[in-house]
Amino acid sequence: MRSFIKKDLLIFWRDRKELATVLILPILLVLVLNFAFAGLFSNNEQSSLDLQLAVVNQDDVAEAMARLNEKLVNEASLGDQEAKALVEQANDIHPVQLLFDFLESEDLNDWVTVHKLEESVAVDKVKEGDLDAILIIPDGFTAESLYAAFVGESPATTLEYKLEKETSNSSALYSIIHGFIDHLNYQFAIQEIAGASEPAVKLPEGGFEKIGAGETFTMTQYFTVAMGALFALFLVATVATKTGVEIREQVFNRILLTNSHPMHFLIGKMVSTICLVLLQIIFVMIVSHFILDVFPDRSITFWIGLIAMVILLSLVLSGLAAVFTAISLRVNDIDAANGIFMLVILLFGIIGGNFVPIYILPNWLQQIGEWTPNGLFLVMLTDWIQFEELSSIVKPSILLTGIFLLFTMIGLALFPQRGKAK
Amino acid sequence: MLETINLSKSFKGKKVVQDVNLYLNNGESVGLLGPNGAGKSTTISMISTLIKPTSGEIKLNGVNTIDKPGEIRRISGVVPQELALYQELSAYENLKFFGAIYKMKGKELEKGIQQALEFVGLEARQKDLVKTYSGGMKRRLNIAAALLHKPKILILDEPTVGIDPQSRNHILETVRMLNQKDGTTILYTSHYMEEVEQLCDRLYIMDHGKIIAAGTKAELLSILSTEDTIKVELNKMDETFVEYVKTIEGVRKVEASHSQMKIIATKGSNLISKLVHLAEKHHIQLINFHTETPSLEDVFLHLTGSKLRN
Ligand SMILES: Nc1ncnc2c1ncn2[C@@H]1O[C@H](COP(=O)(O)OP(=O)(O)O)[C@@H](O)[C@H]1O
Ligand SMILES: [Mg+2]
Repeated sequence: MRSFIKKDLLIFWRDRKELATVLILPILLVLVLNFAFAGLFSNNEQSSLDLQLAVVNQDDVAEAMARLNEKLVNEASLGDQEAKALVEQANDIHPVQLLFDFLESEDLNDWVTVHKLEESVAVDKVKEGDLDAILIIPDGFTAESLYAAFVGESPATTLEYKLEKETSNSSALYSIIHGFIDHLNYQFAIQEIAGASEPAVKLPEGGFEKIGAGETFTMTQYFTVAMGALFALFLVATVATKTGVEIREQVFNRILLTNSHPMHFLIGKMVSTICLVLLQIIFVMIVSHFILDVFPDRSITFWIGLIAMVILLSLVLSGLAAVFTAISLRVNDIDAANGIFMLVILLFGIIGGNFVPIYILPNWLQQIGEWTPNGLFLVMLTDWIQFEELSSIVKPSILLTGIFLLFTMIGLALFPQRGKAK
Repeated sequence: MLETINLSKSFKGKKVVQDVNLYLNNGESVGLLGPNGAGKSTTISMISTLIKPTSGEIKLNGVNTIDKPGEIRRISGVVPQELALYQELSAYENLKFFGAIYKMKGKELEKGIQQALEFVGLEARQKDLVKTYSGGMKRRLNIAAALLHKPKILILDEPTVGIDPQSRNHILETVRMLNQKDGTTILYTSHYMEEVEQLCDRLYIMDHGKIIAAGTKAELLSILSTEDTIKVELNKMDETFVEYVKTIEGVRKVEASHSQMKIIATKGSNLISKLVHLAEKHHIQLINFHTETPSLEDVFLHLTGSKLRN
């Protein structure tokens, strides 16, 4: 058995072109993709969203205090004295100014560019696609929102958010603004309860709400993991091709004639696939990590989990190699078989999300994709990178183990009995 | 020690080997001669257990090998027609791998490898990758790989096809040595008449999947004809001499013209020495004579109506 593994590894080692392909190419791709997509998706230092927001202010701030006073007296039936005191207090709060401050704050500066425009102009620009959305501050906004805050009702007028069509950019903006309004109301509420005389509205932090409490999953991490797994898949095709060569060059016959159990041949293929996949993925991950700092400041537990998952993937892929090897030994046309193997691998790669992030694909394809070994691996690793929670990887691990056993069984079942091999 | 009984093989209903009966005695060197496509490789594949016969039996020392291929695999070495080597490995690495899966270990394996390499004259280049070898060297290594486990029977399938004369001689010499010095039983397949004539004690001639003739070379030649034709050139012609020649035992027909005589006689009648004797008596000098003996080529032609090499 050792001889079989040694032979396979040695032959692979001799094939420098192949070796360079599976080791260097994924790293190059990670680098290239990383830089190519840096402007699009980056989520750390660099900003990528640049939302063009038109703000149309229809509120007359100068009139606001008079209107508030009027409302308090007429609608809330407060005495003149009481109303005056509240208006006095409200004088220091300028909701419209707060909104502008928020939109132009340092946090949001990178995301949003504010254009103060007339409504008609703004509408045209949005239609032309120059702007992403319009925020309208309606007439009476200041008075209404202050009134609402004091009496604890929801305001009768609210900000209007308009957009031409729903895009991820504009909906992101909506959630920012929505967050602001909630926050504003909340601040007023607090203030009222505390009865603080000097309202200091704290700005909410800009940006998307974070999913849970985990780390973010970066594009660089995605590329590293996806390329590693993709080229591991290609390795399986290579192993199958080399089996084809062994058959064509008659060495398989010679092996049969040595009386060594042909199963050794199959298991040798599986073990060498495991070795190759492990070497390859770990190499790609470690080199990418050192070049791009893919997984900064992660715990030992994280790395152990990562390696465990890579081992699991290598097992599954060795099962796939067993199936391919067994088929190679059975078919008449090895070239056709190799072509089909490559197709299967590419298919796995595509629907498993190794070429493009899986959520770009249609739903039904995503569902199938999550059943491919590489797809499962990606899903599992994405989870692990974000949450580092054992519970979330148990199910995919069991599934992967199941697929490994299934593949191995198919490989063993298809493997031709001694003497029957062509 | 090894025999086949009505061995037959069909591929998709087409009979490629039909009722082949052949045997190998211990220490013999046997040739299997036939044109391309005769079914030699198929026969050998069945004997070496790589493919199963459609019908018929193969017996090793009386035991059927078809269901129990272990023993024949253990004691036989097969040199396939195609190279069966890893091109990406060196000669040494190839032999080490094949030796290891023959369950040879350590010193025994190392010694086996070096002996095999020495036998085929490749010790000097053993560290080079096979893909850098010439065709002849690859063929020699192909043989070495079959010798590692010191087989009692060596089966060679056209081991000299398409290589230079030097390598060819080397291979023929190697096979002869194995047979004569080590007592290895040889089954040698070829479509080259000369090789089989040189190497083999006995031979089988195969065509269209059937054995059409078998025996020693002399036996095969005698199939062709029971007569020899002898042409004699004399310094003078003598009527009485001609009459005397006609009375020699075995002579069937004499044609005389000018100074030449053509004598047709039964095979093996020891005509020449009698002829020489007679001529001396009549004071006639024999200037020149030659026997027109049929070749195996002629035998093949006679049996099949076609040439051996096409
Ligand atoms: N696997 C196979 N399938 C179908 N036909 C085959 C197969 N192997 C050999 N043949 C046919 O059997 C015949 C004998 O082939 P082979 O034994 O290789 O002849 P030889 O070795 O004497 O040249 C040929 O006509 C060949 O085409
Ligand atoms: Mg042949």
